[in-house]
Amino acid sequence: MDVVQHMFNYSVFAGFVVGILSLIAIGYQRSDIHLLILSDVVECAMLVIIAALGTDLAEALILPGLVVGLAEFLAVSEILIQRCKLRKKEKNKRVSKLFEEFLVVEEPKVEVDIEHPKMEILYSASRFISLILVIYGAFLTGFTGGAVMSVGLLFYLLSQGIVSRGISSEDIKDFWEAVAGFSGIMWALWIILGFIGFYLFPDHYVTFLLIAGGALALKVGSKLGLIGDLKF
Amino acid sequence: MFLNITSVAGKFYGYIPFGDIVLYVTEFSAISFVIALFFTLVVYFTKPEKQLESQIGGFDRLNYVSLEELKIRRLMAILCGICTAFAMLTGDLFNYALFLAVIGIANIGIVSAVKKEWVLNAAYYYGIIAMISTLPLFGGAALILAKTGTLSILELAGKHQDLLFQKMLYAAGMVGETGVAPFYAAKAEMFRAPGAPYILMIHLSSLLIVIRTAEILLTI
Repeated sequence: MDVVQHMFNYSVFAGFVVGILSLIAIGYQRSDIHLLILSDVVECAMLVIIAALGTDLAEALILPGLVVGLAEFLAVSEILIQRCKLRKKEKNKRVSKLFEEFLVVEEPKVEVDIEHPKMEILYSASRFISLILVIYGAFLTGFTGGAVMSVGLLFYLLSQGIVSRGISSEDIKDFWEAVAGFSGIMWALWIILGFIGFYLFPDHYVTFLLIAGGALALKVGSKLGLIGDLKF
Repeated sequence: MFLNITSVAGKFYGYIPFGDIVLYVTEFSAISFVIALFFTLVVYFTKPEKQLESQIGGFDRLNYVSLEELKIRRLMAILCGICTAFAMLTGDLFNYALFLAVIGIANIGIVSAVKKEWVLNAAYYYGIIAMISTLPLFGGAALILAKTGTLSILELAGKHQDLLFQKMLYAAGMVGETGVAPFYAAKAEMFRAPGAPYILMIHLSSLLIVIRTAEILLTI
């Protein structure tokens, strides 16, 4: 028995449990937007049940299910927005709720001023997370690796802006263009010179192998070089 | 009792293969298809109604549908009609569920352009119910697929399997998606919005869908 068959009962059970739990949460919920988000959770539970099948057909069913769910979500949220606009227009008409005088209307205010830039976690956590992302991306290689790595870099740069040690956008642009340009040239060497060379001149394959290998090493190396450039 | 596709839905005329998507025509589905298409044409060609609202201690008010509102609502009503028509013909349980969900979205769309708070409120609650009921609807279809290995109604009509729980789930999903009896309160408010032919489409689609679901559940 393979793992999909083994997990089928558990996954369907988990889907139904998530659905029922979010129904209970919907029952307790008063705010409209939270109601909407929780009903989206129910749709995710629906996807879990379809995914429990684990066949190719199930994979083909998940996508339309997801799309229809999202479309419904968007339609209902559009309704919510329209209603909010209408309410803003008719604000002078006061609508009183049931037992309004017994409910707390305003949220309690916190008087103490919290200085966000002085929080230690803003300094240490951003560096740590971006370091992990960059290292992981460097080892992944390929498009995924590049995406993960650039997410790490962007995260670091943006978090520097938060702690008021911002890096100017010109710097980011220059840096970005340099890395991208170098990487692009190396890609061209690797694919165009290296691989096409294999097919056109099979006799000199060692030369082209060296070109392709060297270009690949430099391309990945430029990504690795980003780690040193960040100056933690 | 032996139930097959011919005994429930009348004479079986044949099927129309579109690759994976197999439509089939029986007496029942042909009649419903024609009805749905006819009302779609009616929606396309007629002008919306004007409602006269009587006021206490004031002048009566004429509710009419503005041109901008009319365009959105007519488009949505026509989409709803086309979906209903093809839901009558489809031979695939999952496609049928998808058509149901799209009809639900179109129903929300028909009333979404109405600038009245109680109508939008009703549409919002109907939308929430429709979103929640995708779980039993698609879950029921997925469980039928898991048990029998196929989603085709033609295939399932030949086999005789015990699908009671799955059918119950599927029916519950349909009930939520079309907003019949237990969830009718929100939908009844939606019908009160001005603009007759478009609102009629909501009613007609859910009516045809309920009959068709009963037919499908008896067939498989």
